[in-house]
Amino acid sequence: MARVYVSTVVNARNDRVWARVRDFNGMPNWHPAIAESRIEGGEAPDKIGCVRDFRLRNGDRIREKLLGLSDYDMFCTYSILESPMGVENYVATLRLTPVTDGDQTFLEWTAEFDCAPDREAELISNIGGGVFQGGFDALKRAFGG
Amino acid sequence: MPHVVRSAILDAPTDAVWNVLRDFNGYDRWHPAIATSTIERAQASDKVGCVRRVRLSDGSELREQLLALSDLEQTCSYCLLDTPIPLFNYVAHVRLLPVTDGDRTFWHWESRFTTRPEDARRLTEMVSEQIYKAGFDAVRAHLKQAA
Repeated sequence: MARVYVSTVVNARNDRVWARVRDFNGMPNWHPAIAESRIEGGEAPDKIGCVRDFRLRNGDRIREKLLGLSDYDMFCTYSILESPMGVENYVATLRLTPVTDGDQTFLEWTAEFDCAPDREAELISNIGGGVFQGGFDALKRAFGG
Repeated sequence: MPHVVRSAILDAPTDAVWNVLRDFNGYDRWHPAIATSTIERAQASDKVGCVRRVRLSDGSELREQLLALSDLEQTCSYCLLDTPIPLFNYVAHVRLLPVTDGDRTFWHWESRFTTRPEDARRLTEMVSEQIYKAGFDAVRAHLKQAA
């Protein structure tokens, strides 16, 4: 099983960062790689089990299911149902933790998945360095550091 | 039950910070509140269950026991056994996590304890500021000095 772990620090209190990322249907509002998103069946985006169907700017379409969402611990866990990436059993978690020393937020984005062995390094790099770090960079820009 | 949570970002890789924190008998080398430290019965300071006897800079003494230590997770837990301060059932947890964006360290330090209601506020403030916050600053300075 392949693992991805990417973490960063954003210059804003965790409640402000959480307000930006908690919407399971809101990725196009903050992540530069996501073009559009909708929740299937007209369900609320914070209803556990809801499915988001989104399109990347490169045209790829991905369906993901919300497995867990906590406003108390500030994390969101989801799995991939359908994607052109060639991954199986993909589960990812985005977690926010306050940095009390300076009112910042520590963000961790992790994923675990199975894939063909010869594609593992490339997928880890694309998901970690591309998708996750790309999202972090956008959040850092949005919150000024 | 008071719950103290403090966290900080240190501009050093987790291995460097962990190298300082994992020595349960080494806090006197960097923490301003701690004057001397010894491990009872000459046990190794990374033997889970060992007890450190610490003298604070004000002369008072306390005993703390190592409850857990993990080099894999870079975590450690300890509790107070004897103390001149009315902190009861005090259990603290230290946890380091890597900030991959910049090879820095997220350091999380938390504890729970019981005390008399009239002391809760003052002791929460003391643990939070004089132990944890001061500890963050001291390790920053210690690492800078070592570099």
